[in-house]
Amino acid sequence: MKDIATIIFRLTISCLLAGLVMGTAFVLTNKAKLHNAEEREHKVMLGLLGYSATKPAPEFLVLHPVHRYIVTSGETSAIGYLVPVKGANEAEYAFVEIGLDGAFQGQQPVKLAAEQAGEAGPRDAAIAAALGTGKALRYADQTIVVTENGKRRAYLLPGEFPGFKTFIGVILALDPAFTVLGLEIMEHEEDPGLGGEIVQGYFKNQFQGKTFAALKKLGVVKTPLPEEYRRVLEPGKNGEAISPEEIAKIQAQYQDKDIYALTGATISSRSVTNGVKAIANKFAYRLAILDRVLAEQHIAVPF
Amino acid sequence: MATDKTNLQLVTNGILNENPIFRLVLSMCPAVGISTTVMNGFMLGIAVLFVQVFSSCTIAIFKDKIHPRIRIPTYTLTIATWVTVIDMVLAAYLPEAYAKMGIFIKLIVAFAIITMRLEMFAGKESVTASFWDGIGMGLGFMFGMMALGFVRELLGLGTVLGYDVLGFKPLLFFILPFAGFFCVGLMMGFFNYIEARYRRAKRA
Repeated sequence: MKDIATIIFRLTISCLLAGLVMGTAFVLTNKAKLHNAEEREHKVMLGLLGYSATKPAPEFLVLHPVHRYIVTSGETSAIGYLVPVKGANEAEYAFVEIGLDGAFQGQQPVKLAAEQAGEAGPRDAAIAAALGTGKALRYADQTIVVTENGKRRAYLLPGEFPGFKTFIGVILALDPAFTVLGLEIMEHEEDPGLGGEIVQGYFKNQFQGKTFAALKKLGVVKTPLPEEYRRVLEPGKNGEAISPEEIAKIQAQYQDKDIYALTGATISSRSVTNGVKAIANKFAYRLAILDRVLAEQHIAVPF
Repeated sequence: MATDKTNLQLVTNGILNENPIFRLVLSMCPAVGISTTVMNGFMLGIAVLFVQVFSSCTIAIFKDKIHPRIRIPTYTLTIATWVTVIDMVLAAYLPEAYAKMGIFIKLIVAFAIITMRLEMFAGKESVTASFWDGIGMGLGFMFGMMALGFVRELLGLGTVLGYDVLGFKPLLFFILPFAGFFCVGLMMGFFNYIEARYRRAKRA
């Protein structure tokens, strides 16, 4: 009996100690970690649009975040979008509620500073204050609409879907016609060397240039990746130069082809393909509804 | 009971005589699954080295306080703590390295080699000896993984460290998981053969 008591006591102490060490490390590092993640996300987003450190983004390029919420009041639920509003004095944002059938349900101005919109805490509080009581709010996802001189240039869609082991987090870039501009894997825990290869250019770049129609019926094939295609997907990997005409020719040739699965990681390849398809499909559907409502209600958005 | 080996002997012991992969035959899952390229082996080796050294030192310090009946849970807890701390610190201060090593670090919690070393060595020896033993085991693991990775990458992809050296892919199946068994087996045999030769030469 005494033994058991000692064991319980010591195990509790060691757990507390471990918790203390981990907690301290978390407190000390979390801010820097979040900052790094944010910075990386921004860099990746610009990278997907074709900008880098050597080729900075022009100033007239603006990223407008649109946050999607699920609003429930009693038995009914609706989708709410937090959209920036152009030319408004006080409120810079509007919260537009759309029913599940696509009908407009109402809009509320939301008082929110631009730098607070990126932070979940103040943003949720501001929307809840604008909505009043009796409605529950749940954050769904975020879409970034990229405009250039006021014209839509691209959509950036952060998304998540189940992979072979845990969730895979990606950012998908679509152009206004929903053709894939690029795909970047942000987070994953697939096996290194097998499923982990999804981050390699020769896999993720295969999505580049797929049109919306091609994306809808995109599948995964287990045939090996043709060598000429690999050279185009990973330009400069082995120091060989390819002319732009040749790249365009080969890319056109594989435009409507399925995704070539990774060797030894068919499940990961399939998860990414299906995940990308789902993100693009859902987004296209939602955007059509949102655009129609915004036009009908004459809500002036800057995109 | 204190070890009679010098610090240098402790390090070489981990690399050669008691190499975790080829002699102790521990942590076979990563050896088979992840040793597909030299770089993978190196990354995992670095990660194991750090976790092994930190955990060994921690256990060596607290060895008198650990109840013998709950050694293993305590060891696992220690390893998990260090893995988490290293993961968080890397993510915060070395984002570039973390982007490459992150997935490897999270795998380590369940590695047999670290638990076994805590049980066999750090739980009985002094802090200094445990530190050098941890270094030796970490380097030995890294050496084993890189040797396996070299063979598998060269034969499977025709490259070394990502650079194309052969210009073609001789045997693609070498990078698939099951080929890890062949490789580990063959290399284990090779190392045993060398040792047998060495012993015979010494005797004669």
